[in-house]
Formats: sequence, C-alpha cells, structure tokens
Amino acid sequence: MTAEAKAAAPREYPWRIPANWWLRNRHYFLYIAREFTVVPIALWLLWLLVEIKRAGDGRAHYAPHGSTALVVFSVITLLFALYHSYTFLSLAGVIIHVKVLDRPVPSRVIVLAQFALWAVASVVVGFALIWFAR
Amino acid sequence: MADKRITIEAARYDPDKDERPRLQSYEIPFYDDSMVVLDALNYIKSEVDGSLSYRWSCRMGICGSCGMMVNGTPKLTCNAFVRDYWPRPITVQPLNNFPIIRDLVIDMDDFMHKLKEIKPWIIRKQEIPLGAGEHRQTNDQIDDFRQFSQCINCMLCYAACPVYGLNNEFLGPAAIALARRYNLDSRDQGLKQRLPVLADNEGVWECSFVGECSVVCPKGVDPAKAIQQTKLDTTLRFVLPYGNRD
Repeated sequence: MTAEAKAAAPREYPWRIPANWWLRNRHYFLYIAREFTVVPIALWLLWLLVEIKRAGDGRAHYAPHGSTALVVFSVITLLFALYHSYTFLSLAGVIIHVKVLDRPVPSRVIVLAQFALWAVASVVVGFALIWFAR
Repeated sequence: MADKRITIEAARYDPDKDERPRLQSYEIPFYDDSMVVLDALNYIKSEVDGSLSYRWSCRMGICGSCGMMVNGTPKLTCNAFVRDYWPRPITVQPLNNFPIIRDLVIDMDDFMHKLKEIKPWIIRKQEIPLGAGEHRQTNDQIDDFRQFSQCINCMLCYAACPVYGLNNEFLGPAAIALARRYNLDSRDQGLKQRLPVLADNEGVWECSFVGECSVVCPKGVDPAKAIQQTKLDTTLRFVLPYGNRD
C-alpha cells in the first residue's frame, strides 16, 4: 500500500489481546497450567543438583535435606510432573504419524502404547532404586 | 414460536465517529428453529438497522466469510443456531486477533499475505503436458492430505489462537495446515519452496500447541496436528543424513 493510499484508508481499530486472555476459556487455562508446570520442576531439579554436589563430599559428611517444606514441595512437583507427562504423551500421539502394513496407526493406539511404556519404565526405575538402595 | 424474541448484541464501530467498538442491542423475532445467527444479522440489516456491516456470502458453511465471535467463541454465524443460545442474549463481535475495519468486519490482509507466502497450490518441477494424461493418485495417497484440504480460510483458527494474538508475525494455523496439505500431496514437488517459510522462527516453531485452532475449526481440520507434524518433519530433515531429500 502506498503512503497516499494508507493515509486515505479508513482508521482501523487495532486488536489488543487482554492480559486475562488465559482465564477466558478452559482450554487456555489448561494450556497455561501445562506451560507453568516446568517452573516447579526446574526449581526441583536445581535443588537436586545442589544435593548431588553435597553428596560429592562423601557419605560420612552427607545428610539428605528432609524438611517438611521440601517434602511438600517435592509432592507438588511430582503432581506437576505427572500432569506435564500426561499432557505431553497425549499430545505426542497426535504428532507421531506411523504406518503399519500401509495403514496409518490410530492416534489412540500410539497414545496408549506410550502410556504403557511410561508405566513399564516407572516400574523398572522404581524397582532399581529400591534394589540398589538396600 | 411467533412470539419468541431474541436479543442480539452486535459490536458497532464507525471509524469516523467511534473511539472504540461498542455493543448495540437489538431485540428481534426468533421466528424459526432453523434460524442461525447470520439470519438474525440479516434480519437486523433489512428490518431494523441498515447500517450494520458484516461479511457473508454462501450461508451454507462453504465460503468461510461469516466468521465472527459468537458469545466469545469463533463461529461461522451461518452454522450457529439461535436455538442453542435462546433465551440468553447473543453477543456478536468481530473475530479476535484482527484489526477492525467497521462493525463486524475485520481486516484480513495479514492472513491473505501469509496464505500467499506458503504457495497453496501444486508446484511441479516440470509441468506434465495436458496430453500426457492426469496425475494419478491412489485412495491412500489422497487420505494422506484429505482432511487438510477441507480448510475454507474462514480464519476462526486465527481468532482462537492466543499465540497469533500475542505475536501476529506467527504464520498461523490455517496457512500451515494448507502448506501441509500440499506437502503431503503426491503430485506436489514444492516442499523446498515452502520450507523456508514453515521452518522460520515465526513459522511452526512459534506454535506452543494450545490446540484451540483444531477445536474451533468448523470443517474438522486439525491445524494443530499439521503444525506439530511439520515440526517433526523439519527436525528429521535436519537431523537425518538422508533427511534433506526432495
């Protein structure tokens, strides 16, 4: 558009997204909740790095930090991590496009397979942690 | 039925008079169960207030012209039945995320520009002469892209996308879904021409998967799926040694 045409064009009302847009729709709220889950998870992982650093001083000098506040924070972080994993695996089924015998595998099957793998991996890791901690 | 009334609150904006859009209330007869919001607007225009401006054309969910926010949700007004809202008032506003020209009419230049950028047509390296016959496809090859070809460019997905609302440089759902439609078409050879636009910072990677574009699509297209699959494809093309093939 030339400068003259722009000047002659009617004045448009510009769109501005309201600050509370994410409260106006349930899907938007769940989306923001999903994105927010990474904040406590990142903080918890930072704390884990601190604990690993402290553990490096040797078993004799190390006592794990076990305050009630940390336990509560860890439980909340676990819930956020479970929610994030649930949304991630559900959405990944939409992305993955697999064909078996020239027929596309339905998204639902891919999602279920991922949840099954997740459950198996959780059992294996849990078993290994308990086994080696004895 | 004849006595039923419905209140339509329509957004009004006259660029010569109004500082910002305002709502104007119209109480009109709800004359028929098959009445849609577009019928209500047409009634207002012909019987009550001829100055109300809005776009429409086919009245049958094909042209994609009559998209508006109906009670805060992007809808084709020809496909939004008044009976689903009655007796509550119906608020009709222009599509979110676009500048408003007048009343319910938005400026769609940005979308048209983006649509052109992704070259939504079949591109051949070398055209086959007409005499050589048609480009043949199997049903499976058509199934690969069929759902993405249902897009009618109604822009409801752009109105539902907060990512586009926050950053209108984002290429957006419909343009990417249409790019995927042609990239998946066995007759098309234009992938490399579309990739610079799709894989750009403001292309598929700007999307953070809200998913509302697929919820509001009146034709059952899944633009969120097209975007995420394009992310996967572009990553594989970058990572895999044979990924940069045509």
